Amino acid sequence: MVADLIESIAKIVFVFSMNVGFFAPVLGWVERKQSALMQDRIGANRADILGFTAIGLFHSLADALKVLAKEDFIPAGANKFFHTVAPFICLVPAISTFAVVPFGGRYELFGHQVNLVIADLDVGILFVFALASLATYGVVLAGWSSRSNWSLLGGLRASAQMLSYEVAMGLTIIGVIMVFGSLRLTEIGALQENFFHWGIFLQPLGFVLFFTCAIAENKRVPFDIPEAESELVAGYFTEYSGLKFVMFWMAEFLEIVTISGIVTTLFFGAWHLPFVTDQMLLSWLQFAGANGAAFLAMLVNVATFFAKVIFFIWLQMSIRWTLPRFRYDQIMRLCWKMLLPLALVNILITGLVVLVL
Amino acid sequence: MSKMTGLEQSQYHPLVGVPMATLKPKQVRKNIHLTLWEKLYVFEILRGLFVTGKHFFINLVGFVLPPAGKKRKVFTVYYPEEKVTLPAAYRGRPVLVAGANGAEKCVACGLCEKMCPAKAISIVGGERAGGERYPVSYTLDMARCVYCGYCEEVCPKEAIVMSSEYQGLAQRDRAILRYSKDQLLRSEESVKGRLDYIRRIYSKCSY
Repeated sequence: MVADLIESIAKIVFVFSMNVGFFAPVLGWVERKQSALMQDRIGANRADILGFTAIGLFHSLADALKVLAKEDFIPAGANKFFHTVAPFICLVPAISTFAVVPFGGRYELFGHQVNLVIADLDVGILFVFALASLATYGVVLAGWSSRSNWSLLGGLRASAQMLSYEVAMGLTIIGVIMVFGSLRLTEIGALQENFFHWGIFLQPLGFVLFFTCAIAENKRVPFDIPEAESELVAGYFTEYSGLKFVMFWMAEFLEIVTISGIVTTLFFGAWHLPFVTDQMLLSWLQFAGANGAAFLAMLVNVATFFAKVIFFIWLQMSIRWTLPRFRYDQIMRLCWKMLLPLALVNILITGLVVLVL
Repeated sequence: MSKMTGLEQSQYHPLVGVPMATLKPKQVRKNIHLTLWEKLYVFEILRGLFVTGKHFFINLVGFVLPPAGKKRKVFTVYYPEEKVTLPAAYRGRPVLVAGANGAEKCVACGLCEKMCPAKAISIVGGERAGGERYPVSYTLDMARCVYCGYCEEVCPKEAIVMSSEYQGLAQRDRAILRYSKDQLLRSEESVKGRLDYIRRIYSKCSY
């Protein structure tokens, strides 16, 4: 009982510190530096502590300090309650979605079963969708409560876009669920032990569709029409400042991490190394004793998982700095006339193959 | 219209005028009907990602382990430490040119004052003992100047030119930006490049 409690607390602290403490500030730096490298620039490099710049990493720290010192501004005529509550509604789902994403398998440590996922829900993937839908409220409320035309337009666009892409996303995921026969993310991860059973080989079309829909759900370029800087200033968070502004910003970055985690879990073998089964890994690490081998295997798997996550973060950042923004009608056409029918075709083909095999 | 363009171009000195070939618009693909491969879109995205990814990795290596003898692949100028050498055609803030005796060349004819579209210049003319005119005060309000260069173009004595100075032009007090004659005076050598340049271009224009 006590061991369970310690395990849970350790996992929550680990995931929370990894996401909020590591990924959120570092992604701010990554976005600046990666875009700079892709465009032959140098990027942020001026913030320093005692002349030591750490290739621009201190800019995240400087940003945090700046934001804390800023005025929390609520525009005249805005709905104070919803204006205050909207960033929280945006941020909380972004933080809590990672609870169902497994970042490692099951390990036998000192006679105690360690399952590296905070909440091993048997409807894990549905939980992800539920929280993704909740995030829509945050965006729409932020847009509506600001009493600004930019915000309202951004909120409207966001609501239409996010609801549309949720449909396509949900249908895309059905193919994956049919193949693996489970909604539990730990089980889907465990089933991908064999390299050729990775989701990308079983559902190649599903991966492309899911990744597209996920980026659209996160409202990032090329689907950033809700915040379109050149048209709507900053879209639904135009009227926000200080910490509340940063909450939207953090929600976006945490969603990148969550999307990468889910894509890794569903399509890229979760915590498994390619061509290495759990048994092989344990036998290679036998030199450290039974408990030591399990512990080392746990470290290797967690490192593998986060390496994959970091790769997908890089990929999403690359896409963001490569493609131009879609027009609004193009976004809707892509969703309803291309992604949705393709998702249905994917379900049909998957169903036929599952039936025949 | 095209004939006009050609005439104007041929009037300019080759050093000044832009070569006609570079003025031609680039060939744009007019056919907006995409092929099936392009309509699939995913592969075109991959192609775009390959291009940006190539830049990313080349620059990543260039920063961490620059290959020996290779120049920096980045064009960024670290501004306060590094500065670009500005071309002679750059119009910075206008300055008065001093003659050989150290006094300003200006004869206070008032053409620049009259010409200035922003009304930034105000001159009080006077006469020296020998009957030579000179500006008693020459005030240039840099808060109003629009850097058009008309003053320089209209000046019969090459007494006011656009220098390449651009610093100190953002102040919290507008009074600071009202430059007096002493603050505007520069030696002839310091604006030599600009003088050569205006002789070259304005000599080609006939009013």
